[in-house]
Amino acid sequence: MGLTTLVRKLFGRDQWRPLIAQRDTKAALRLSYLAFKDLITSNDELLEIVADIEQKLETGSPFGMTYVRFRAVACATHTYRMILCLDKLSARRYQELHFVFAGIQKAIEPLLSGTRPAHATCPLVLRLSDIDATSADDAGGKAANVAEVRNRARLPVPDGFVVSTTAFAAFLAHEQLGEDIRAKHDGLAPDDQQSLHDVSEELQALISAHRVPGRLVQSILGAYDDLAARCGTNPRVSVRSSAVGEDGEFSFAGQYTSVLNVGRDGLVDAYRRVVASLYTPRAIFYRAIHGIPDEQAAMAVLCMVQIDSVASGVACSVDPGRPDAGTLLITGAWGLGITTVGGSVSPDVWEVARAAGTPVLRARLGVKDTRADASPEGGVGFLELPESVTSTYCLTDTQVRDLAAIVLAAEAHYGKPQEVEWALDRAGRFVLLQSRPLHVRAVPAAVTDLDGHADGHALILTGASASAGCASGPVYHMSESDDTSRFPDRAVLVARHSSPKYVKVMARAAAIITDIGATTGHMASLAREFGVPAVLDTRSATTTLEPGQVVTVDANRGAVYEGRVDCLLSGSAAAPARTMTGTPTYAILRQVADRIAPLTLTDPKSVSFRPDQCRTFHDIARFAHEKAFGEMFRMSDRVADVSHRAVRLAERLPFELHLIDIGGGIAQSSPGEPAVRAAAIVSEPMAALLRGMMNPQLRWWEPRGISLSGFFAVATEAMMNPAHDADQRRLGDKSYAIVAESYCNFSSRIGYHFAAVDAYCTDSLSRNYVSFRFKGGAADDARRARRCALIGEVLKKLDFQTDRRGDLVNARLRKYPREALLERLDLVGRLIVATRQLDMRMGRGTPVDWFVQAFFAGNYLFDPEQGRAAAGGSPP
Amino acid sequence: MRVVRLLLVDDEARFVETLSKRLTSRGYYVEKALSGQEALDLVTSRPFDVMLLDVRMPGMDGLETLRAVHRLQPLVKVILLSGHASINAAVEGMRLGAYDYLLKPTDLEDILAKVEAAFEKKRLEEEQQGDWRQP
Repeated sequence: MGLTTLVRKLFGRDQWRPLIAQRDTKAALRLSYLAFKDLITSNDELLEIVADIEQKLETGSPFGMTYVRFRAVACATHTYRMILCLDKLSARRYQELHFVFAGIQKAIEPLLSGTRPAHATCPLVLRLSDIDATSADDAGGKAANVAEVRNRARLPVPDGFVVSTTAFAAFLAHEQLGEDIRAKHDGLAPDDQQSLHDVSEELQALISAHRVPGRLVQSILGAYDDLAARCGTNPRVSVRSSAVGEDGEFSFAGQYTSVLNVGRDGLVDAYRRVVASLYTPRAIFYRAIHGIPDEQAAMAVLCMVQIDSVASGVACSVDPGRPDAGTLLITGAWGLGITTVGGSVSPDVWEVARAAGTPVLRARLGVKDTRADASPEGGVGFLELPESVTSTYCLTDTQVRDLAAIVLAAEAHYGKPQEVEWALDRAGRFVLLQSRPLHVRAVPAAVTDLDGHADGHALILTGASASAGCASGPVYHMSESDDTSRFPDRAVLVARHSSPKYVKVMARAAAIITDIGATTGHMASLAREFGVPAVLDTRSATTTLEPGQVVTVDANRGAVYEGRVDCLLSGSAAAPARTMTGTPTYAILRQVADRIAPLTLTDPKSVSFRPDQCRTFHDIARFAHEKAFGEMFRMSDRVADVSHRAVRLAERLPFELHLIDIGGGIAQSSPGEPAVRAAAIVSEPMAALLRGMMNPQLRWWEPRGISLSGFFAVATEAMMNPAHDADQRRLGDKSYAIVAESYCNFSSRIGYHFAAVDAYCTDSLSRNYVSFRFKGGAADDARRARRCALIGEVLKKLDFQTDRRGDLVNARLRKYPREALLERLDLVGRLIVATRQLDMRMGRGTPVDWFVQAFFAGNYLFDPEQGRAAAGGSPP
Repeated sequence: MRVVRLLLVDDEARFVETLSKRLTSRGYYVEKALSGQEALDLVTSRPFDVMLLDVRMPGMDGLETLRAVHRLQPLVKVILLSGHASINAAVEGMRLGAYDYLLKPTDLEDILAKVEAAFEKKRLEEEQQGDWRQP
């Protein structure tokens, strides 16, 4: 047997430790300790991030993909650092951890990109005639829907083509545009107006300046030439967004750019502009609030023959303000539809019966003082209209009935209410430019008779109901250019024009009122989606309503009342709080967290406490943490110098405590002894902590719930009883401490619970600190949460800077004079022991404050019977 | 206490400038480099304690720079900064001996905490190395 083999037999595999090989083993131990300390630090930081992630998952409070990515990468970094540190400490004894880590990494990394799986099989461009509703992943929602209406429902829709999402992916892949976008996007704080604005501008500039790859240019122009050949002329086209998910479950109404009336020359540039609009501030915000990862935003672009329309507008197959009325709603204005959908004119409105023959029930003349036209030189021109034109309806009743029939046909095809954009061409034919599902909410029955007053409150305004519901709040005036971040929560937004830009306040607005705007416009769609009651087209809201004035908006009947009308409000439930739960981003965090946060490796004595049993980063950390202590002890065992040996503490504690001295922490009166008494601990911070843990008032060994009077005999007996050893084994678990003259690191892990104290204490005040951490298992357990609350409160009273996140308490005390620091360590020691088995006592009944008081009164058993007379310790 | 000597390396001049100003105002001694090569030139000529190093730079990238720096000054603590959230890059950086891996953008306070921790580690390592040299 060679020497090497012998050494391996004696010390296990691979014992050629680079560190131990150094001549001065004392220094080697200290160096190991540095690696060990890194490991501890990363363990702490990992636990902190895990707690934060768990809290996000529990509360559903807002976050985006940036959050998911940053936290996942930080968790991976800390876990990996722990593995590297353990490698150093153990001479790479636990190599398998690297494989386990790589496996988890492989599961997480693809989730972080947040992208959808690519459809590489789809060509760069698609003919509108070749696709239908099933093509939404390739052609985007808008194009797929309008193609469905054209090709399957056989309704009139202009010819055109789609630049597919495959083309979008190719554009992004070209010269790493996608990566640059992601990096810039990670710099975003979505709640910060300025940041949102800046990042959006940078992103749009980045995309607008990015070269479209040659083969994509060829494909786009080729598709145009193909279209021109079919038309027999060189048509102008409208270039419109057709993002994935647009016009589906989420409408994204008006969030993206359309470029109208574009010739062949302007096509590629228009394509880029539309793609860039994926990153307008409101589009980014809209995705953030709906929890849609930006990486899943994919933009196809729809190019349709431009209709030189006489009139155009929007129609809803069901009146969204009164879904039960059996009517459909048509709005229209002169020229191109952008005036109506954008909310810049008050369109003509027709209420049409859905019944056979679709008779017109009611018409209301709009204020159509502006007309948008396709200019001969390209682009859109706006024209002020003379009185003679504005006072005429843009459609005849016959035309309205014809259009109504088309709208109902679209609804019949889909089997659910639709919202369509329509245009009337020069030849007097209707075409549909868009069709999307209409969000309607059931409206409660009328609660009161509404002729002028509701419950004594004056009716002050009427308008068109765009989104049903009732709400009350103070009036806040806004215009499109105002900073939306100033908008107060639950205020009533009052604006001259409706605009999709107000999407940024929709999650916070109680209701919306505008002077001008169509119930069929983009903002109306958004209001319905957010469930915000909206009354539009009141003509005079901005002049009638004073800022701060409290009003009640009854959007079910298009009415606005003075003050708070409770009888109206009681009928409509408060809007549910918007949370991330159920969004795609939430689902991704959940998946990522599944491989990071759960702790499945809890028992170091179990045979399955092995690297290959680690399922999560938390498991790896748990394993590495345990083994790191083991390695420190193995190493200290081999150090000949008695001043550095490892010892067991021969004192009565609810756990077995092992200590390593890395310099002047343990007295050398009894060299070679495997166990020492507390008196031998000369490390000042450790001695103070132990004093606390061994405080006689703690009486942790006593059974709980028994009256304490006359119990001393039993207690004394228990002290002498050898059964105490068994008891200790049952509670069992080893705790570790690493000590030096002025330093201690104590750590105790039992099952899911983890407590650690790191302290440094000298006469030099500026470097003194105590850091305390406690993690108490599942965050959803009310009792554990209450225990954390108790620990947090006690530490706060002791002047610690305390941070509590879920079941993690993290507390620090800095720059304290020596004596005061030691006193606090004593109390921390008592706290650790006193709260160990507290779960049972921390039911919902007793307030946390009571426990805090009991602790400071020295009632460490938290016995309700015990009076203050028995108080042992009081706060210093 | 000794002044911490920092080296900032990033090809984004604006970022380097802003961060440098803020760190200087917090009492650090700061030098700047706009490329890996520039950083190496500085590291050859004088000692640093902590280096904040961008991962993605044209020419010599952050990881290459990290390797070269550690050949010259093994004890200098390198904190990698990256705008690209990738576990792979983080792991590779840590494997090559980086002290930490931070994603941009990050708070100044976060950076300061890391710098302080890195410096403390370096100080302790130096103390230990001092120990060895004693007879």
